[in-house]
Amino acid sequence: MARLTVNGRGVEVDVDPSTPLIYVLRNDLALNGPKLGCGRAQCGACTVHLDGQAIRSCQLPLGEAEGRQVTTLEGLGTPERPHPLQEAFLAEQAAQCGYCTNGMIMQGAALIQDQPGITEAEVLEGMRGNLCRCGTQPRVVRAVMSAARKGA
Amino acid sequence: MSASASLTRRGFGLGVVAAGLAIGFRLDAPARAAGEVTPMLLANPKLDTWVRVTPDGRVSVTTGRVELGQGVLTAMRQIAAHELDIDPAALEVLSADTAASPNEGFTAGSMSVRYGGEALGMACADLRATLLRVAAEAWGSEPGRLTVEGGVIHGADGRRMTYGDAASRVSLVRPVDTGARRKDPTKAGPIGASLPRTDLPAKVFGQQVFIHDLRPEGMLFGAVARPPGYAARLISFDEAAARAMPGVVEVVRDGSFLGVLARREEQAREAASRIAEAATWENGPPLFGGAGVFDYMKGVPAEEKVLHRTAGEAQGAVRLHRAEYRRGFQAHASIGASCALAQWEGGKLTVWSHCQGPFPLRTDLARALRVEEGSIRVIHAQGSGCYGHNGADDVALDAALLARAAGGRPVRVQWTHEEEMAWEPWSSAMIVRMEAGIGGDGTPTSWSHDVRSFSHNTRPGQPGAGGCNLRSAWYLENPVAPPVSTDAPLPAGAAARNAVPIYAGIPNQRISSHFLPEAPIRTSALRTLGGYFNALCGDLFIEELAALAGKDPVSYRLANLTDPRLAEVLHRAVRLSGWTPEAVRLAPALEPVMTGTGLGLSRYKNTDCYVAVVARVEVDTRSGEVRPLALWAAVDAGRVVNPDGLRNQVEGGMVQSTSWTLMEEGHWNAHRIVSDNYADYPILEFPGLPRIESAIVDRPDQPPLGAGEGSQAPTGAAIANAVLAATGRRVPEIPLTPERVRAALLA
Ligand code: FES
Ligand code: FES
Repeated sequence: MARLTVNGRGVEVDVDPSTPLIYVLRNDLALNGPKLGCGRAQCGACTVHLDGQAIRSCQLPLGEAEGRQVTTLEGLGTPERPHPLQEAFLAEQAAQCGYCTNGMIMQGAALIQDQPGITEAEVLEGMRGNLCRCGTQPRVVRAVMSAARKGA
Repeated sequence: MSASASLTRRGFGLGVVAAGLAIGFRLDAPARAAGEVTPMLLANPKLDTWVRVTPDGRVSVTTGRVELGQGVLTAMRQIAAHELDIDPAALEVLSADTAASPNEGFTAGSMSVRYGGEALGMACADLRATLLRVAAEAWGSEPGRLTVEGGVIHGADGRRMTYGDAASRVSLVRPVDTGARRKDPTKAGPIGASLPRTDLPAKVFGQQVFIHDLRPEGMLFGAVARPPGYAARLISFDEAAARAMPGVVEVVRDGSFLGVLARREEQAREAASRIAEAATWENGPPLFGGAGVFDYMKGVPAEEKVLHRTAGEAQGAVRLHRAEYRRGFQAHASIGASCALAQWEGGKLTVWSHCQGPFPLRTDLARALRVEEGSIRVIHAQGSGCYGHNGADDVALDAALLARAAGGRPVRVQWTHEEEMAWEPWSSAMIVRMEAGIGGDGTPTSWSHDVRSFSHNTRPGQPGAGGCNLRSAWYLENPVAPPVSTDAPLPAGAAARNAVPIYAGIPNQRISSHFLPEAPIRTSALRTLGGYFNALCGDLFIEELAALAGKDPVSYRLANLTDPRLAEVLHRAVRLSGWTPEAVRLAPALEPVMTGTGLGLSRYKNTDCYVAVVARVEVDTRSGEVRPLALWAAVDAGRVVNPDGLRNQVEGGMVQSTSWTLMEEGHWNAHRIVSDNYADYPILEFPGLPRIESAIVDRPDQPPLGAGEGSQAPTGAAIANAVLAATGRRVPEIPLTPERVRAALLA
């Protein structure tokens, strides 16, 4: 039985501790935010925050999340209380199919935390590991920069 | 819900998701001459197939088109709301479901709104006119004296009747009256407004959107144990060992199709991979007979056709210029691998799929499973952007085959990314040969373009053909082989799409194709089909002709154009970029880093939107690396319905094309594609992103044109031409990898 905190709530799951966290979040906890993409740390679709740091949940064994704070897109903000980057994604209409969007927002949110002066070059480098096949990257950059300036 | 309970789309919240969808950018809804009926209405004549008023008074419209991230459902919402004088947000918009929606074939080729939107608009116009007549009769008035506001009919004397009330007094179960009066699409209303996409909040807050998010009670996870090669056969495997693997509840073997059902997703994946590895397979002969793909393509028999000719013999040519351009296999490479959910109940199959054509998929599922089409229902749910025919259809058959062993429980199968890359259909390798006569003053006196290619369309549901285009059908004990592939005719074309030059002023044109119906590596539709590469080659070739003539690429192009709209986007893109065009200097001395600006111009399918792109690149001549610095585009897509949506499509296409043009190429071993992950098949990352700007040439007086696939070819051409401008050397093969560029520089 693994105990962890997901989006502020304590949860217990009876799953092999070597199981990659993404499967637990999606299939056991019915969270839709983190997406299963490449499954090998190449695309960023599965990004969540572990104690505030952006990590690839396809790579993290459940056992290593024990006793730690996991935040998914659902926990970052809600329609009622959106995170500034979620608002910026809506303002910039920064998606097409939206499959990469979770990773873009979770990576971007960690990147700009307390970094109002972040440069565009730093954003491009910080988002390197997040892929989008629909070509929405220019909009994603605009959204991340605008949320950073607002002090996300 | 019990394990075998019926899964309705509502039960999963999918109807709600579909209703909340709204994306959109353009539409075709010109007033049609009376008697001219869109093909979608001929195929689906019933009014209540398209639009209904629910007992509680809401208007619900249904389209056979599917959302692929491209915005089609918002366009449909706008068309319907415009015709009905109703708030777009008040409409329910449902998408394709073989049990409930019109059959509109595939959602592809930028044709949705032109045909499907026209049909939906007609049906809504009919509904509005019918309800107005009902109110007029009830009030002893004339329909022409009534107005509608927000779905409520108003009489001149202040009387009111809701659509719901009016609809309860008349039967809507009848064919669409195609004579109903349409509203003027240029009048202010939902058409022309930039509706924000209503599907985005769900995507931004992590709500249920994708097929991957469906988790009906009792669901099992399936996975397929893939052979080591496309032509491999299963000789034997250890079934007992397979059944003993953690979480495995069922093992399915049918011929060389081998798969598992497990309680957990990671268990199914793990078991499938271990089973595949431990099984004994017999591989087929090596791919391409062990030869390189381009040698193979030139060596096998081809169907040869002349597709287009303009009269006359080449006159006044003082010399000939020839070029051969090549492009390898390219992948859809979706971020999320293909996924499907299937459930059998009492001999009836229901499949949730993110395919582009639920009806054609149903046809091929029936062929593969050897059941009646009527016993299968396919419901569309969203998936990761697919950009053409990827594994979406195939995984639906995998789920159906595995679900047969699930005792009525629903089965979800999501391919692994590696599986998607190795087993999805790829975009064909292509060879284009061009030749032009050049007159004394450098003007082209003739133009020929020959394209050699495998198929660009092996989608399911090929009419009349029999056979089955779902991959696993070929591996069954009783296999159903694919039908023989054919090439689509111009003007749209498939392999030869955009092979006819936009430079209509050039005399003596000859366009031909060498079509290769049998592909050792399975190929099918990737965004633009052959259009990206054909248009790109045409534009590389004209740039070379300009350089040989010592002319700048803009004035040389203008001299050979006859369509003023092409000239206009060309001027606009050049102005936006601030570039002063000059003649390309051929083969100058190399400097360590050289920069150059190039141009790309095309009209998608020769019938849709006009796009010009200017690219500025930097070439590191020591490494051969090409760095795209900036791209400027101008697009004319006729009347623009949603400028933001149009920009999203155009600029997204420019990013995708930058990736195709500089990086993307598949590799294989003797038996299968091995570029099966993003390290071995890299796509563009953020730091490689060029600065992108676009301008829209708005033409409110012109019918809208398909714009979802217009920017790829001119972007690729502009980048390749910028490399020519920078270095004075041509690189005849896409992608422009550092090794290839370096080799061209040293040649
Ligand atoms: S799914 Fe985790 S990085 Fe791609
Ligand atoms: S929006 Fe489709 S992958 Fe990024």
